[in-house]
Amino acid sequence: MSAAAPGLARRRPAARRAPRGRFRTVWKEARRDPVKVVIFLLLLAVSAGMLYPFLFMILNSLRSENQYLSGTGFSTVSWGQLFANLPVGRELLNSTLVCVASIAIILALSSAAGYAFAKLRFRRQGLLFFAVIGSMMVPLQSIIIPVYVNFAHLHLINTYLGAILVYAGFGTPFATFLMTTFFRGLPDELTEAAACDGLGHAGSFFRVALPMAKPALATVAVLQFIQIWDDLLVGLLFLQEPTNRTITVGLGVLSSGRVVSVPVLMAGSLVSALPAVLVYLFFQRYLVAGLTLGVNR
Amino acid sequence: MRGAGGAEGREAQLTSDAPMVLTAPGPGALQAAALPAERSVRRRARGGLGRHRARAGILLSVPALVLVLFVLIVPIGEAIYYSMTNWNGISAQWVGPSTYTSLFKDPVFWRVLENNGILLVSVPVALAIPLGIAALLHEHVWLWKLFRSLIFLPTAVSWVVIGMIAVRLFAPSGIVNYLLGLFGLARLQTDFLGHEYTAILAVALTFVWSMIGTNTIIFLTGMSTTDPAIYEAARLDGAGRWASFTQITVPMLKRYFQFTFVITMITAFTALFSLIFIMTGGGPGYGTTTLEFFVYQQAFDVGQFGTGAMLGVVLFVLLFGVSLVQLKLLREQQ
Repeated sequence: MSAAAPGLARRRPAARRAPRGRFRTVWKEARRDPVKVVIFLLLLAVSAGMLYPFLFMILNSLRSENQYLSGTGFSTVSWGQLFANLPVGRELLNSTLVCVASIAIILALSSAAGYAFAKLRFRRQGLLFFAVIGSMMVPLQSIIIPVYVNFAHLHLINTYLGAILVYAGFGTPFATFLMTTFFRGLPDELTEAAACDGLGHAGSFFRVALPMAKPALATVAVLQFIQIWDDLLVGLLFLQEPTNRTITVGLGVLSSGRVVSVPVLMAGSLVSALPAVLVYLFFQRYLVAGLTLGVNR
Repeated sequence: MRGAGGAEGREAQLTSDAPMVLTAPGPGALQAAALPAERSVRRRARGGLGRHRARAGILLSVPALVLVLFVLIVPIGEAIYYSMTNWNGISAQWVGPSTYTSLFKDPVFWRVLENNGILLVSVPVALAIPLGIAALLHEHVWLWKLFRSLIFLPTAVSWVVIGMIAVRLFAPSGIVNYLLGLFGLARLQTDFLGHEYTAILAVALTFVWSMIGTNTIIFLTGMSTTDPAIYEAARLDGAGRWASFTQITVPMLKRYFQFTFVITMITAFTALFSLIFIMTGGGPGYGTTTLEFFVYQQAFDVGQFGTGAMLGVVLFVLLFGVSLVQLKLLREQQ
């Protein structure tokens, strides 16, 4: 249908010059096909349903405990309480540190391994590929107890390194799958030619393949950022000290610990959600690409 | 070499409005990748470049393998071993496979699986609603891109935050009860999180809501890859919106149904720990304790590391089994 009657959004260039004309077009379209009006209204209702919880969070973070209970009035007192109860700055810093380090490891390992699996030929390649990619099947809960005990022996509990290794190890299989898929799409002639021209295979990887892989690397980074930033379980077990907690864990502990008022929790939720939402807003299409990649698996 | 051909083109494509689609391998990529590689090793490894290539391949892929061995493969082996022991995290006594038979006789285990069953039943709902929304978005009405972004938004928000808000929405004075009253269903009003079966219902509903964004986007991508000419032909043949939806859109999305089913089920079984932790803590009773939550509870609340490891193995086997069935179904169709 969209081919027969081009979507209204596509007429934007003309509309930008004359906003009135745009609304007239919308109106004309609506008269010609009233079902579109119904669809528009339905989508409006769905969006309201998706947005309501966030609106609830934002509005109630701007209330005191009593204002929340009565549902009237606004104040910023809860934000003050949040900063008094939760070392927000420190926790945001911890989250950032853990995310950046884990993602750096994942990007380095998965792009190298992906290139090797897609473009090089070596003994036991099939076995290695199966080991790395097949590990995608292992759920976090199945390995978390042995990993916890192993890391306790290695004195890695309550260290950033411990949490980073778990996040990186858990993220690497899917990232490698994604990178292998991407590199397989690059023409062999390109990487072979570079290798024969004296760059060698390492040079061909670093100087030719990697610069072309930026979109795939971005997809991996965005997917992993959201996953690691939003994680509770690993943080709860591997970063237990108030000084090295991530923001998500801090919030989880705050909610289950001492009784804190709802508006304070809502303010904390808002702070913890904001960075991931901003990443989402700016890099939405990388996220979409990563999500739909597995369809043809 | 940075400007080497494709790089520029690829980035230009990214800034366009169409959702980016990375080239994906066909089904069975796992085997396809392995076989030709193994075959050519002996033939090519004799040449100087071949040997160089083999060395580069090992150098580049071993770091990933080491990390995965350290964090995933060795631990899953340990989990299988320790699942047959009495283990408190420090010392373990060998018991043998009888730990599994006693687990399967434990009524609590079946109560927990029942909760997983309820979540499994909610999976089709978590596909049906997004399918409808994707169909609406695919009509490309005014502001549809804005709607798409809004609907996709919860994908970025953590289960902790979603759970934190959901607790308030399902509270006795929350909006869910208010809406029930509004639609004349006042006798259904209850303290949702206070009773076993309404609590798991609240968790399942929150889960379904959270999956709407992800699944809608996946279906929408599927619909946008369908050739518009097919719809045009159907329209000329007199097919209405509903007919094109049921006769063209749904059959074309088969692959997408399978994919969303698998990821939604995996999410239901392995990603809801934080949501349950925040919303109910597994209670009331075992009302919202799913298998993954039971793993955590047994190990870190009760101190039964052996039982926890065993539950983890059961979860792994369960998901592995479902994925194998899925793969087999896919094969049979081709």
